[in-house]
Amino acid sequence: MENIYQAYFESLPCFVTVQDRDFRIISANRMFRDNFGDHEGRFCYQIYKQRPEKCEICPVERTFRDGGEYHSDEQVRTLDGRDVCVIVNTTPIRNEKGDIIAVMEMSTDITDIKLLHQQLRESQERYRILFEEVPCYISIQDKDLRIVDANRLHREAFGTSYGGKCYEVYKHRKKECEPCTVRQTFADGKVRTHEEVVTSRDNEQMNVLVNTAPIRNGDGEIEKVIEMSTDITQIRQLQDKLTSVGLLISSISHGIKGLLNGLDGGIYLVNTGLKKNDRDRIDRGWEIALRNVDRIRTMVMDILYYAKDREPDWQTISPADLLRDVCTIIEDKAKKLNIQCGCNIDDDVGEFEADPQAARALLTNLVENAADACRIDKKKSEHRISASLRGTTEKIIFEITDNGAGMDRETREKAFSLFFSSKGAGGTGLGLFISNKIAQAHGGHITVESTEGEGSRFIVEMPRRRPAQVKEE
Amino acid sequence: MAEQKKILIVDDEPDMVEWLTTFFHDHGYQTCFSYDGFDGFEKTLSEKPDLITLDITMDRESGIKMYRKLHDSEQTNAIPVIIITGVSPELKGFIERRKQVDPPAAFFEKPVDKDKLISRVKELIG
Repeated sequence: MENIYQAYFESLPCFVTVQDRDFRIISANRMFRDNFGDHEGRFCYQIYKQRPEKCEICPVERTFRDGGEYHSDEQVRTLDGRDVCVIVNTTPIRNEKGDIIAVMEMSTDITDIKLLHQQLRESQERYRILFEEVPCYISIQDKDLRIVDANRLHREAFGTSYGGKCYEVYKHRKKECEPCTVRQTFADGKVRTHEEVVTSRDNEQMNVLVNTAPIRNGDGEIEKVIEMSTDITQIRQLQDKLTSVGLLISSISHGIKGLLNGLDGGIYLVNTGLKKNDRDRIDRGWEIALRNVDRIRTMVMDILYYAKDREPDWQTISPADLLRDVCTIIEDKAKKLNIQCGCNIDDDVGEFEADPQAARALLTNLVENAADACRIDKKKSEHRISASLRGTTEKIIFEITDNGAGMDRETREKAFSLFFSSKGAGGTGLGLFISNKIAQAHGGHITVESTEGEGSRFIVEMPRRRPAQVKEE
Repeated sequence: MAEQKKILIVDDEPDMVEWLTTFFHDHGYQTCFSYDGFDGFEKTLSEKPDLITLDITMDRESGIKMYRKLHDSEQTNAIPVIIITGVSPELKGFIERRKQVDPPAAFFEKPVDKDKLISRVKELIG
């Protein structure tokens, strides 16, 4: 009978020792002897741990003390110097009277398991770092669309608090989006991509490319969906810019063709006029040539202005002087076209903060437009442009009025948009767009009133002080 | 002696009108003009020109609309029309593909080649 138990003891696939109260090893099984050598008379701490005295926390000691079963994680060294991780279990061995006469200590080799654990931890750590640091916004939602996890970028951008509904957090919506790609992915497990506009917690709008993918549990059920968004705002902006450049190029080509045509016409008149000795024809032709050269100049300047994003060169200037300058420039041209000019300037209007070059360009463009409007208007024989200036405590107001061709509603509404020109071949479509940009850069704006066939009034309002947010930049 | 032929010039750019007027006069033609397509059609009816030069890049598509009106009216659809434009040759294809209207007698892109223009005019009306 004892032989069977002896056989079991010997063949257990773990290290088994039986120790007395002094921690001396009374008996040990084969696996122990194979790995740790002879045990006769030696102490467990000597063999396992190569220590001169017992370990501080000793499960064998505790079992001796109170008869309970204990376990601990330990690292021991075998005879050939190998470090082995073990789980130690201790059990009391009692005599017939119930006294504890020995403790059986069983140690299971868990080195491999420990290694796996560590690798798993490292792997999880790597994925965590990846998740946190990847340069896109990642959130994980449960079936109720609550955010259960989000990476660092997401938290920074949207101020995520876990448990919030995704549509509240970055769309600032009260209801689910329709359609909701997260829900769709929950339903069919398919990966989806689409483009969105979301709002960051600083209230900035972003164009993002959103990918949703299912996360399955061990049973293959979809329990969460991961939503990964890449910021493509810059790309879209570049795209817009490129589209604008494309439009600009075609608009320029169109405009230049017209101007070249005009130049050709003027030159023809001059040449044939010289041949025929027709002074009047020469004069007319030369005037046409000059006018078209002038327009080419304006076009080139507009394009150059458009091509550069300029910071206003803020100075304190007199709007009265500015308007007077512009009027002087235009008077020459106006006289040739038989247009009357009137300047109504309130000299007490004071000063304002502006970029003098930009402000001059703005006013010049408006006045030249007025002159063009008068020139193409064939319905009236007498044309007039008037420029006026007044001021309030807060702002400066310029008004340029003409009784030229005027604009219908559609033209009026499109007037400030890019590449819209009602001048056919003569316009670039840039002038008013740029004037408007200048006004806005100063914190002001331009409004227009116009009646087709009667004339137009452009009202430019600019604040006296440059706007605060511009100051901060 | 052949009667002087009359050409109607329709273009919203006064410089263009002035030049074409002088140019055609120099080659022995009479001219009249209009600055938009709506008025241009009326002028066609009243002046009865032998040829029309038409700018189709005028405001509010007035050139294209005039072109269609000319084609639709029995009084005018026999008058040859030369289209002058600042846009790309694609527009030529676009117009020719519009099944309701016949292609124009000629098509010139700005800046116009004077010599080609006048030789085509001579071909069309002598």
